[in-house]
Amino acid sequence: MDFTFPKEYQLFRRMVREFVENEVRPLAKVIDREHRVPHETVKKAAKLGLMGVPFPQKYGGMGGGEIGYCILAEELGRVCSSTATVIGAHIGIAAMAIHLDGTEEQKQKYLVPLAQGKAIGAFGLTEAQAGSDAAAIKTTAVRDGDQFVLNGAKVFITNGDIADTIIVMAVTDPTLGAYGGITAFIAETDSPGFSIGSLENKMGIRGSSTAECVFQDVRVPKENVLGQFGAGFLTFMKSLDIGRASLGAACLGGAQAALESSINWARAREQFGAPIATKQSVHFMLSEMFVDIEALRSLVYRTAWLIDTHQPHVMEAAACKLFGSETAHRCINKALQIHGALGYSRDYSIELGWRDQRISEIYEGTNEIQRVVIAANLFRPYGLRIPT
Amino acid sequence: MDFRLSEDQLMFRKMFADFCTKEIRPQGEHIDQAEEAPVDLLQKAVDQGFWAALVPEAMEGCGLDVYTYMLMLEELARADMSTALILSVHNSLMVKPLIDHGTDDQKERYLAALSFGEMLGAFALTEPAAGSDAAALATTANRDGDDYLLKGTKLWVSNGELAGLFLVVAKAAGGITAFLVEKDTPGLKVGYREKTLGLRGVPCNTLYLDNARVPAANRLGEEGQGFKIAQHALDLSRLGMGALALGGCERALEEAIRFSMEHIQFNVPIAQKQIIQNYIANAKTEVEAIRCLVTYTAWLADSGQDFSHHASITKLFSARAAHEVTDKMLQVHGGYGYMKEYAIERYYRDCRALEIIEGTSQIQQFLIARDLYKAEGLEIRP
Amino acid sequence: MKIIVPVKQILDPKGITVRRDKERIFINREEYIVDLGSKAAIEAALRLKESVADAEVIALSMGKPQADDALREALAIGCDAAYLLSDKAFKEADITVTVHILAAAIKKLGGADLIVAGRESSDTGAGQIGPRLAEALDYAQVTDVYALAVADGMLQATRPWAHSYAAVKAPLPAVVTVALEAFPPRYAHGARIMSAYRDWNVPVWTCADLGLDEAALAPLLSFRGESFPPPIEAEKFRGDPASVAQEVVMALRLQKVIG
Repeated sequence: MDFTFPKEYQLFRRMVREFVENEVRPLAKVIDREHRVPHETVKKAAKLGLMGVPFPQKYGGMGGGEIGYCILAEELGRVCSSTATVIGAHIGIAAMAIHLDGTEEQKQKYLVPLAQGKAIGAFGLTEAQAGSDAAAIKTTAVRDGDQFVLNGAKVFITNGDIADTIIVMAVTDPTLGAYGGITAFIAETDSPGFSIGSLENKMGIRGSSTAECVFQDVRVPKENVLGQFGAGFLTFMKSLDIGRASLGAACLGGAQAALESSINWARAREQFGAPIATKQSVHFMLSEMFVDIEALRSLVYRTAWLIDTHQPHVMEAAACKLFGSETAHRCINKALQIHGALGYSRDYSIELGWRDQRISEIYEGTNEIQRVVIAANLFRPYGLRIPT
Repeated sequence: MDFRLSEDQLMFRKMFADFCTKEIRPQGEHIDQAEEAPVDLLQKAVDQGFWAALVPEAMEGCGLDVYTYMLMLEELARADMSTALILSVHNSLMVKPLIDHGTDDQKERYLAALSFGEMLGAFALTEPAAGSDAAALATTANRDGDDYLLKGTKLWVSNGELAGLFLVVAKAAGGITAFLVEKDTPGLKVGYREKTLGLRGVPCNTLYLDNARVPAANRLGEEGQGFKIAQHALDLSRLGMGALALGGCERALEEAIRFSMEHIQFNVPIAQKQIIQNYIANAKTEVEAIRCLVTYTAWLADSGQDFSHHASITKLFSARAAHEVTDKMLQVHGGYGYMKEYAIERYYRDCRALEIIEGTSQIQQFLIARDLYKAEGLEIRP
Repeated sequence: MKIIVPVKQILDPKGITVRRDKERIFINREEYIVDLGSKAAIEAALRLKESVADAEVIALSMGKPQADDALREALAIGCDAAYLLSDKAFKEADITVTVHILAAAIKKLGGADLIVAGRESSDTGAGQIGPRLAEALDYAQVTDVYALAVADGMLQATRPWAHSYAAVKAPLPAVVTVALEAFPPRYAHGARIMSAYRDWNVPVWTCADLGLDEAALAPLLSFRGESFPPPIEAEKFRGDPASVAQEVVMALRLQKVIG
């Protein structure tokens, strides 16, 4: 059993870290303050093939698989959750859905530009009345000749206002319910009838945009049905499942950053005649952070390996998201405490990490949903189906 | 043992609640977004007695007992935590020490202004190298004729740029000493305002003392008494943090209960989901536990007993509980909990300060343990 | 045009803590990187390659077997080929021996039109490899170059001169050392990083491959020990930032460091 990353991944991590330190870190506080997306970073990342890390090179990707993508997510999460969210939503759920369920034509037409970063992707699932209860979506897709006509409104869509390509879940048969009645579509945002409603004003990840996407008689060609007709629920579940592993990786990066900052601060800050690094309260906090981080690291990369080797991974990915987000919460919260008043100050980056972290326990399936998913899978082998 | 509120306490609580709900609560979002102290609201609050809560009736104050003062802070926090902290600092860390340790002359000169909205109080203890280790303060107070010259830098002075009167703790020849320093004192400069994660309506400033000339008549208590005066003030303030936590948690719980009844998922309000019910129940349990600690500690104070130990216990418990409760109540809101139109994310940010200000949780732990071991004859060090 | 770039692998200085008070250097994190001088050289070489038709950039490194990683990075960044010069016999190499080994490898490759090296390495900063290689190979040399171009078999370089810059021309073959500041390194493209270990080969040349004998490998310098430089007498300013800043400005003015 060899736990070392293959050399190309070690080199990849080093190069990504350099990129992140030089290009992402200087903007982290700026984009939070200015409440804007770091388009300049996205362009630079695209030039280096980073907007398509997990996808095969023949589709314009980097050929790095899920392991490579988790490394990117981790390195981004270490420095800027906003940038990690913008790139993560693009790669991890939007482009990923086409990678998993797209036809060859759809991959050539849509995945290639997404992987090359020439187009930006978004994932349109959530609606006002359909959050955790994703099956309760009301956006409709009605067949009209060779096209489908989409009507409805999606909310909380990351990248919604900057995306070129958006994966849309719509009801194609209201009588059939979640399984059979929902279909996934690939829509282009420059289609007539597509507009952006409001942009959310959030506590954190303010360097990523969260938009309301309105579809008014938006027409998509029938060729843009993604996955099996009527099996949209499965299409989006597959994408979300995989997306959860890399979310755990981003949380790992954030947690690691919290630990590193805390170690450095504890060495520097003196009170009662000695660095606070000499205090047992600090030792215990740091040790607990280390333990959580190491457990998360193993969980994330083993799950990435399961994905890359095409093994079942649903529970493990849910665990990555659940444990990752809660680990990040505990770590950044302890880091804030160790930094004292400076942890509460916007002149330092700890409070930014604290605000940014909180959403990770909510988006891409709340942690309550993750627990339900895991529990459902624990009972499934016994033939017991549990209600949500 | 009667836990019921007296007629007077009920009347005061209703008065506070009415004012806070009607006037302050609707301003909470703006106060946070604009990062503006609610100066107009604070002035309005003068007439309700918020600035003179602890001033004896004989001196034209409300003459509230500590417990009723806690009710006041609780209602304020429920409406807006920034406003609550501003008034807590004013009452606990300026007005009360003045009442307890001030000369008649000092009370005559300042109590009226402090009570009737002309002068807001502030407390200057922390320094760059003296945070948790407050005793390591380096600001000096050198005697010069009938005056003292104060020299040093104070950080994180809540109410800083709004204050008319500062309680400054410095080192004089006879030891750590407290001083009442007016805003316009030559040599005193209010500097940089901190940008904070939460409690954004509370100005927190750096104070520069460059040979600030303070008359000896403004020395609070004797030389060498300053640390005890500060600690005694902090005891009441820490208890007040419990009341703030209580109000904040009650607000968070209220928001979450309402949201969970309105938000429908899986065909029912999420209030019907077991896990939501668990979160609500746990939060309520924390709220009641905080209430018990605040009530008991306030009773100790009102019956003239030493309440320092329990003030630390109250602060330690309620600050942690406030983080836990606001966190879970935010989670009940789902994605909406992260959006600024909903109050919960503000309370989550505001309550996080409670484990740091007025002595971190780690300091409270030390103080509590120190008391226990002292009773057994052992002296422990931080 | 054949461009050869010597690449040096060094210990990452970010993983090192210098404790003056303990007169010790702590290696908290033992990681190896491509030295910044080599990275600037690679960057300069690649820019040159992009500006002319038909050029190739070859990376060469003399080091332990792990220097293979440095060469993979060079390939990922954009070099066309890489060779590792590694042998137990190279263990005691000082600069003279290193130059000897590099020169032997360059000769084995059939020489070069241009050798691009960093002005100095970012660990030892000796700045000798470039000039000494030029002597060993009998190539022209221009050091501390801020801009370079090749036209009609001539190298055109810009380098500092007095308080300005001079334009220098030299016939190829030549050795150039480049200023680190003038050639900020590019990032490697992700796909090349994936290929670096999977698709490409880095041949290892030993002492025997290079035809070197023991005499050639005997170092001229021997290491006797290390010590910290004596503490510098310095004036310390204490106080609040505003007053300290004023005092510092006064002191700098008195010492005529600023106007």
